[in-house]
Amino acid sequence: MNSRKELINHFALMTEIIDQHQEGKRDVTFRVFRFNPQVDSKPYFDDYTISAERGITVLRSLNYIKEHVDPSLSFRAFCQAGICGSCGMRVNGTSKLSCTSQVWDELDKCREPGIIKVEPLRSMPIIKDLIVDMDPLVDKMKRYSNWIDSTMPLAEMGKKEFLVSEEEFHRYDKATDCILCASCVSECSILRANKEYVSPAVLLKSYRMNVDSRDSIHDVRLAELVKDHGVWDCTHCYRCQESCVKSIPIMEAIHSIREDALECRGPKDTSGAKHAEAFMEDIEKKGKLVEATLPIRTNGVVWTLRNLLPMAMKMIVKRRTPPPPPLVKPAKGIKIFRAMFREMSEHVKQDHLKSHKK
Amino acid sequence: MKPFDIVIVGGGGAGLYAAMEAMKTNPALNIAVLTKVYPNRSHTSAAQGGANAALGNKAKDDTVEMHIFDTIKGSDYLADQDAVDVLCSEAPKIIRELENIGTPWSRMEDNTIAQRPFGGAGRPRCCYCADKTGHTILQTLYEQCLRKGVIFFNEYFALSLSVQGSRSRGLMAMNMKSGKVEAFPARTVIFATGGYAKMYWNRSSNAAGNTGDGQAIAYRAGIPMKDMEFVQFHPTGLRKSGLLVTEGARGEGGFLINKDGERFMARYAKEKMELGPRDLVSRSIETEILEGRGFDSPAGKYIHLDLTHLGADLIKSRLPQIREMSLNFEGVDPIEEPIPVRPTAHYSMGGIDTDNFGRTVMDGVYAAGECACVSVHGANRLGGNSLLDILVFGRIAGHTAAEEAGKFEPGKISEEEIKASVDELRSSMQPSGHYERYGALREELGQTLALNVGIFREASLLKQGIRDISELKERFKKVRVFDSSDVFNTNLMQVLELKNMLDLAETVAIGALAREESRGSHTRIDFPVRDDEKWHKHTLATLVNGKTTPGEKPVTMGRYELQERTY
Repeated sequence: MNSRKELINHFALMTEIIDQHQEGKRDVTFRVFRFNPQVDSKPYFDDYTISAERGITVLRSLNYIKEHVDPSLSFRAFCQAGICGSCGMRVNGTSKLSCTSQVWDELDKCREPGIIKVEPLRSMPIIKDLIVDMDPLVDKMKRYSNWIDSTMPLAEMGKKEFLVSEEEFHRYDKATDCILCASCVSECSILRANKEYVSPAVLLKSYRMNVDSRDSIHDVRLAELVKDHGVWDCTHCYRCQESCVKSIPIMEAIHSIREDALECRGPKDTSGAKHAEAFMEDIEKKGKLVEATLPIRTNGVVWTLRNLLPMAMKMIVKRRTPPPPPLVKPAKGIKIFRAMFREMSEHVKQDHLKSHKK
Repeated sequence: MKPFDIVIVGGGGAGLYAAMEAMKTNPALNIAVLTKVYPNRSHTSAAQGGANAALGNKAKDDTVEMHIFDTIKGSDYLADQDAVDVLCSEAPKIIRELENIGTPWSRMEDNTIAQRPFGGAGRPRCCYCADKTGHTILQTLYEQCLRKGVIFFNEYFALSLSVQGSRSRGLMAMNMKSGKVEAFPARTVIFATGGYAKMYWNRSSNAAGNTGDGQAIAYRAGIPMKDMEFVQFHPTGLRKSGLLVTEGARGEGGFLINKDGERFMARYAKEKMELGPRDLVSRSIETEILEGRGFDSPAGKYIHLDLTHLGADLIKSRLPQIREMSLNFEGVDPIEEPIPVRPTAHYSMGGIDTDNFGRTVMDGVYAAGECACVSVHGANRLGGNSLLDILVFGRIAGHTAAEEAGKFEPGKISEEEIKASVDELRSSMQPSGHYERYGALREELGQTLALNVGIFREASLLKQGIRDISELKERFKKVRVFDSSDVFNTNLMQVLELKNMLDLAETVAIGALAREESRGSHTRIDFPVRDDEKWHKHTLATLVNGKTTPGEKPVTMGRYELQERTY
């Protein structure tokens, strides 16, 4: 075995090498959102300029600032390896994990050269600085039963395995990558307008539970998902999927829930389903929307009169009313379009048979 | 606050399983889980590889008995054999139970739970979900706790036990959101706060919060710590960050290569090669580096973990997280190049001394998971046994506490006691005159531990380590908390975590100096062989009148006699 001296030399050498590794440094300014509800009436930004080396992450920079410049700067961090989901924040305007974001990559995305902007996640109440309240998300997980309610009787638990095919496993494998970092929650355009909205993360988890053959409350969960603020409120902006730190196809999950809802509960079940159905009907018939009757077909006559009449009056005054249904002529080349439409519908049906348990 | 029947400190795998099982045992009980992070953030999520259970899905001839033997041998015969019996015989049941409630295990061709080989195991018995096993187990448990309506106190930092005579009356904790110290009077308290290996700071694979809070609180309340000197170094941490590359990478067929292009494990474990037990592989890598056969880089010396021959498909399907981490933290794509790795402090075998039911010496106080020492891992834990440990003993502790809660009077914590706790907190925040930075102290602690209480240990080094730690403890008194806010004061929290690490570091170093032998993860250059006559026993460290007082406890033997441990 080596002597103690060699051992110490080994460590000393290592430290020395690390110290020498000073090349590849740049001055970087972090413009960080600050808000302490105890003293601040409104949020502000603090600038911290540090010398950052190549390879350093945004989180390590924030740690450095907290240790050496301003210990009051507050943010969450735990595993620092991209798996616990604590350090979600907005870096240069995009929600992501700060622990896996490279400073030098971010420098290419700055609006003002050399200044990296760091803000808390959106659509969640701010507690302090970069820390937001996660409780509303947890409450939604509860509301939408984001758990497996096993078909295995309690007395049989632990005695035998369910047999799960590779194919079924692949249906939810990617969805179980979700670490609840809430980047999608922060990027969701619906949530910014409506805090009651179910949120992408909870839809993803709901999907994951619904396609699991071990679960027994698929119908209960789905019934909740089709209510107001549920799955039909999504506007397909794809921001959730684009910002997902685990590259999970969240929109696919949302589409799947909708298809599942149409199939299981029928197209007349909720206004969301009726809306989708009316859309399909128009597109198939005319290749475009018959907007004038869309609200009636979605929400019924009474609701439309009560809610849209004032707006309709204004539209008439401004001459902005959509054309009445008889005037909406089928689009050019509608025959070819219809053939394509039917072929697509057939494909979707086949995919369904393949990927959905019934 | 109304007294609780059970307060569980920690919301990782052990804590959540304890909560679930306690509710199942007696649904009428008033149970709370108190945790300093949201439960789904807990470090259980970082466990990649899997959990061992002799299901026999992959190797039909695997048995619980073989799992028991592998675990005892792996522990270098320091594990208590009756505890290992419990661990391994409960394993198949608990893995199936998790499967039954939704854990998305990877599957074999016959649709049963998939299993793979793991270090130190005679059969492929490690059940896994790709390389996100801990994450999916934690999610499953959290989901089930939400389903059952477990009451969570998220982002509460535990401060101290309230002790009356030989029993606990509950717990004091700081609500991070308000900064208020709140009392949690309780009949029983279960500690499930995880390990203490973060005291090695930058030379550790652990999360920033794995600071041994539960152990430190129990230790200051007079509960003995057991086998603290045994800290496992994981063979393959990423060179720059210390972050972990799962043993699954070697289980799938990865090679360890030195700068001469040799698969050097042939020298140290001819048969098992890369799948030797962790202590042995760590020492082998460290020896290669010390003898000059490592690679050199500005960020330190390292060796290669080569996965390139496994092919893109296998890496993408079975080791996706590893690929992501290598890309993010080393800029290396393991499909194309080998990953630079070196050993990193990873797991604490030692912890709060408990019996096989999770009980500590103090009435009404229990512990489970990495923060406890039953002991099932002895001097060295096998890969795939830590997730198993937190599940099996988390459940047992939850069950025991639920059964025994009625035995203890509901606790009461007086206003004076709460006030005293607040005063103590405040006084530690603003020293006058010269002050110290907690960040510097934390780094120095990690440095001295890695240098003096690391993989290779020696009396003079250990003595230096002990001197350094007591000096750091002295300097800690001058640490100033700059953030004066009550709301989410992470500055204060990190200072309190440092205090916990300092208290525990002392027990680790003292234990390591006392144990004059080499066993499992504890390697003394000056005592290179295992000494069963003198040291086949557990060491205890108890705080008596402010001083660490050593003690010992016999190892429970069973069917297996002491043997030399070779692979």
